[in-house]
Amino acid sequence: MQDATSPAELMVILRHAPHGSSWLKEGLDVALVAAAFDRRVTLLFMGEGITALLEGQQAGPLGQKGTAPTLAMLEMYDIDNLLVEQRGMDELGLTSDQLMLPVTGVDDAEISRLVASHALVLNF
Amino acid sequence: MASTEIYRYLSVGEQSIPLDPEGYLVNMNEWSIQVCERLAEEEGIALTADHWEIIHVLRDFYARFEQAPAMRPLVKSAGQALGPEKGRSIYLMKLFPGSPAKVGARLAGLPKPANCL
Amino acid sequence: MLLHTLNRPPTSQVLAQALAGMGSDDKLLLIEDGVIGALPAHRVHFDRVAGRLYALQEDLESRGLLSLCDEAVRVVDVEGFISMTETCERTVSWY
Repeated sequence: MQDATSPAELMVILRHAPHGSSWLKEGLDVALVAAAFDRRVTLLFMGEGITALLEGQQAGPLGQKGTAPTLAMLEMYDIDNLLVEQRGMDELGLTSDQLMLPVTGVDDAEISRLVASHALVLNF
Repeated sequence: MASTEIYRYLSVGEQSIPLDPEGYLVNMNEWSIQVCERLAEEEGIALTADHWEIIHVLRDFYARFEQAPAMRPLVKSAGQALGPEKGRSIYLMKLFPGSPAKVGARLAGLPKPANCL
Repeated sequence: MLLHTLNRPPTSQVLAQALAGMGSDDKLLLIEDGVIGALPAHRVHFDRVAGRLYALQEDLESRGLLSLCDEAVRVVDVEGFISMTETCERTVSWY
């Protein structure tokens, strides 16, 4: 994790679970567009948004695309600063070895520091 | 994004392959080497082994991630698959002039990359 | 100093997310359904932002909550909301 965040940095907060709404997809799209234009992107998964990282996800029952392939693709866009809200993990009873990508847990103090230090924070 | 609107047909031997208004395949499953060659002709590109390498990189990317790559991840994938001297935008620009991510996706039979100029 | 807006009631987990994202001098403005949090019974949920908690007058009025609003909550109208967005560096929406 970087301490000095340049003004060009974007933080996208993902707080919605896959499949139930399009919020997660839209947040990921914004992150990818920003990365495609060479912005450094930090992704923070909070609350139910953490479930997007669970292993073993699939397409929806009607064949709707899931978000797991997109999450796997983040690395190709050099989006590698993946954070999860530690309290959200605890509330869901999850541990990081159940997640499909390597993540860093952050507590409330760290989250507020990140919100303050990124030039742009987009909440999804 | 993939479009389902048929705008015109590409004739490939006996077949007529539907294309969307931007020239991408309406049905990805209709892609073949012959289709790729005809699409390349339209772009004025004479396909070489170097082109095919990148087309395979594009198709592998789609198979893994269900999306066509924008320029940045295309460059990275090409570098990972083919070595650093091919993972450069200048190299890709020479092979697929204009927008390598878009032209490459079209020839590879993929939908238009979403996160792209 | 950032301005955070919250449009969800205090029973929502979004409140905890907003509080997690707030720095020690940031302000929290309750809007829309969020103004239910301005009731005295909910004061306990907002301990961490005591003195920095605001509620939008128009949304309190339309819900009949203005007269029930906790005295510790500062009531601002839309114009006050706008001037808060001017004095704060950025606005972050929690919804």
